[in-house]
Amino acid sequence: MRERLSIVLAAIAALLLANNLHAMFLTLPDEAMQGAIYRILFFHAPAAMVGMIGYFVALTLSIMYLSFGDFKYDSLAASVIEVSLVFSLVNIVTGSIWARIIWGIWWTWDYRLTSALVCVLIFSGYIMLRRAIDEPTQRARLSSALCIFGCVDVVIVWKSIEWFRNQHPGPVLDFRTGGGRMDPAMSHVFYMNFLALLLVATALVLIRTRQESTAREIDSLRRVAHAA
Amino acid sequence: MDARNFTYMFYGFTAAWLIVMLYVISLARRGARLKKELEDVKHLVKGERSTPEDLLPNRMR
Amino acid sequence: MRVLRQALSVAYKDLAIELRTKESLNAAGAFAIAILLLLSFVFDPFSDVVREMSGGLLWLVFAFSGALIFNRGFSRELPNECLDALLASPLSPASLLIGKAGGIFVTLLPVELVSLFVFGIFYNVRWWLHPPELAAIFVLATWGIAIVGAVFGALTVNLRLRELMLPVIIYPLLIPLLIGAIEVTNTLIANHPVTDYEWLWARVLLVFDVVMTALASVLAETILVN
Repeated sequence: MRERLSIVLAAIAALLLANNLHAMFLTLPDEAMQGAIYRILFFHAPAAMVGMIGYFVALTLSIMYLSFGDFKYDSLAASVIEVSLVFSLVNIVTGSIWARIIWGIWWTWDYRLTSALVCVLIFSGYIMLRRAIDEPTQRARLSSALCIFGCVDVVIVWKSIEWFRNQHPGPVLDFRTGGGRMDPAMSHVFYMNFLALLLVATALVLIRTRQESTAREIDSLRRVAHAA
Repeated sequence: MDARNFTYMFYGFTAAWLIVMLYVISLARRGARLKKELEDVKHLVKGERSTPEDLLPNRMR
Repeated sequence: MRVLRQALSVAYKDLAIELRTKESLNAAGAFAIAILLLLSFVFDPFSDVVREMSGGLLWLVFAFSGALIFNRGFSRELPNECLDALLASPLSPASLLIGKAGGIFVTLLPVELVSLFVFGIFYNVRWWLHPPELAAIFVLATWGIAIVGAVFGALTVNLRLRELMLPVIIYPLLIPLLIGAIEVTNTLIANHPVTDYEWLWARVLLVFDVVMTALASVLAETILVN
């Protein structure tokens, strides 16, 4: 059932992406000041949004695991964080490539970019912690605690765009500025691509969660084998 | 400037797709490894079963 | 009040052990001076630039030498199953965690003060121009380091790769705190006027401390109970 769902989600995402790519390259014109390179925005910012949503979903799942003790919440949290890390990496790398052309530099230490990198480091620590603990209950408990602490830092990332204005551009999306500075045709493609990436992320999370369940099944079978 | 602009745009797109594809490949490999490990452990459990089936806990039937 | 009293007794115990052996104090102090020495080869130690980035230099030194202190926080309880005894005692997990953080805080502060003195001598920097503000920032940031160090020291105490995992997990979490401490310390030591920008970072430090301490209290049982 879960496999079928992930296949369906991946298929819808593929169709959306194909449609969006067509729109990006053949329908939308180049941006007045940036030229063709602005199209990276359609992956850069949605990837960041998917990553951030993932961290908060993982926070909720971690709290649910600590409250109810059901391993499925822990498996989901671990899967969501792993996939969010991938999308955060996409965000940082594409942003760096975009910055090379627009700002002339690969990287700048403004607070938002720094905070995005900090998030990647924190949740990489989460993945490393999980790999260092063999016992499933201890692993779930401690990584849930780390996830909760880590998400406090994600809040600082989210607020930093409002607290500090630095080299990173200010908000351009409608829901943040109340009026928006992006052309409606571009913002339509933007949100469609965000939806596509969200579906891709969801499909990957479902596959990864299935693998976590399999790993737990292997673990319990091994205990039976050793006990016999 | 235009050619460089386009080139870097494709670098950006390539980077995005490459990162996701590498993750998908690692997921696929991990899945295959887990599947094989599950089969091996199931055989191990079957092989070590010396007691009659009705003496096993319910979840193993 | 009971939690505070228990935390104080845990902190007192740790400090008593530390004062007797002085292991962490000596190691952290020596390490801090060694880093300050190494940094003198990175740039001209007497240039005006040093004053502008003194906060950065100092807080890097404190963060790295602090690792030697919070690494010892819970690991010193492992021999003779002292940690199990502590957990089985009437002490609440929250008071144990906060007490450990208190011990780390009181151990780290003298190291920071000594480093500050040495820094002033090595780099010819007059750091005493705004003592109350500097003291406040030191207290806020050091408590932040101490509470995070205590929490993750407890979290990783039973892991086989404890010494490797602890810095990897802690330093990214401390970055917002360190940025705030660095920004305000830079301003105070360079004798620039304190503006809303610095007050904002001071508030960030305060919020970080309060939130981390609250989270530590709430999650103490989760982290400590096996």
